Amino acid sequence: MSSPTPAPPDRDPIPQAARPATTPPPWPQTWILKVIMAVTGSIFVAFLLFHLAGNLKVFLGAEDFNHYAEWLRTLLNPLIPGSGFLWAFRGVMVASLVLHVYSGTTIWLRARRARGVHARKFLLRRIGSRTMFWTGLIILCFIVFHILDLTMGKVVAAPGFDPGDPYSNLIHSFSRPPVAIFYGLTMALIAVHISHGIWSVVNDLGGTGKRLRNVVFAVAGLIALVVVCGNLAIPVAVQAGILTVG
Amino acid sequence: MRLILEVWRQESPRVPGRLEAYEITDAREEMSLLELLDRLNHQLVEENQEPVAFESDCREGICGTCGIDVNGVPHGPENNVPACGQHVRSFADGDTVRIEPFRAAGFPIIRDLIVDRTGLDRIIQAGGTVAVDAGTATDADTLLVTHEQAEAALDFAACIGCGACVSACPNGAAYLFTGAKLQHLALMPHGKMERGKRARSMIAQMEHEFGPCSQIGECALACPAGVPLSAIATLNKERLRALLRRKDN
Repeated sequence: MSSPTPAPPDRDPIPQAARPATTPPPWPQTWILKVIMAVTGSIFVAFLLFHLAGNLKVFLGAEDFNHYAEWLRTLLNPLIPGSGFLWAFRGVMVASLVLHVYSGTTIWLRARRARGVHARKFLLRRIGSRTMFWTGLIILCFIVFHILDLTMGKVVAAPGFDPGDPYSNLIHSFSRPPVAIFYGLTMALIAVHISHGIWSVVNDLGGTGKRLRNVVFAVAGLIALVVVCGNLAIPVAVQAGILTVG
Repeated sequence: MRLILEVWRQESPRVPGRLEAYEITDAREEMSLLELLDRLNHQLVEENQEPVAFESDCREGICGTCGIDVNGVPHGPENNVPACGQHVRSFADGDTVRIEPFRAAGFPIIRDLIVDRTGLDRIIQAGGTVAVDAGTATDADTLLVTHEQAEAALDFAACIGCGACVSACPNGAAYLFTGAKLQHLALMPHGKMERGKRARSMIAQMEHEFGPCSQIGECALACPAGVPLSAIATLNKERLRALLRRKDN
């Protein structure tokens, strides 16, 4: 009996990196991250709509607006005393933001890796989905600016910030043209971000029905439009001199 | 008509590749893109040069073997048509046509225009099959399927596994491919029995080698089988269903 001839070594084997089937899948798996993004993103969109409704009270005058701001601080009193609800709400928002940013960044990095060295060129169509990471990053910077400016009254706030008079704070802040422009541009980016984001929610949560998908696609554009137009009206009105202090 | 072909040449997975320009003077409008490559190879053999390696089989759009990137678009300029069904008439006389292999980190290049698409096979091996006794041919009539349900399943079963969706995707994701198989089998009586198990294993396998979906939608435009974009939502739907049900079916 002759021993079998050993097979000649494969001169051009496929790189091992292309066969990672025995390694565990990435953790957390992408579908989990996508679901986290869909849920936290939906919380943010709901917040944006309530925030817009509150903002528009600025057109009803200083008294209405400041009364509404005070109501927010004491929401659900006396069931939850003091600013308890406000702080619980802030906790939910911060937790959602951390999860959303972590998931988004991880997905973005995985996408870059899976694209390979032979990268596809930038496609102008569906620009919303291609720019989610960057619009998200700018929105994140805006959130920090916005809280410093109008909630805390620190660093970037207009001079004469008064925690008891949100109406005047808002008018003073938007009277500065650079702030009004930055705010307007960010609103446009938020519109791009959430129009793709809301459309992604239906995919990430598994909406396969034809009618549901069409409705969400249309609603995504509509909500984006409402948010950008509604919020833009305020700095425009301040700059045009329609909204003034006193 | 005259065409300049810029073709990706790469001897092996290990060496770097490059684009090389060739001129074809006798291209005809009715030629498919694969016939154009055949013409180029005849020319190269006559000139004692190495012909371009590319894959093709049925040349009638049903096998999923062909796959090239034409001017940055998988298969070619026409949406939802495989490379074998794309024709030279899409180009004008004197045009430069860039022909490259499918692009994705999950598709390493083997040679010239041939890429290793076995990553898709491994997703199918993970659960894209029916592992229950389906009986013999005569048993098919014992489980009735409505016409509508059969048609709906066929929309997703139409996938020919060419990998254009992965190449079209700027994220290198295989969601359309995996989602099509999950949806197809979830609609069929035998396939339903392993619905949860299949979703868990196929999606875990997919995440080894392919990227995340960002709902860009390029995949459904490239797909030569016209698999609907809703297949990408099917993937998360089936996975969430498996998570909540905690059962194999």
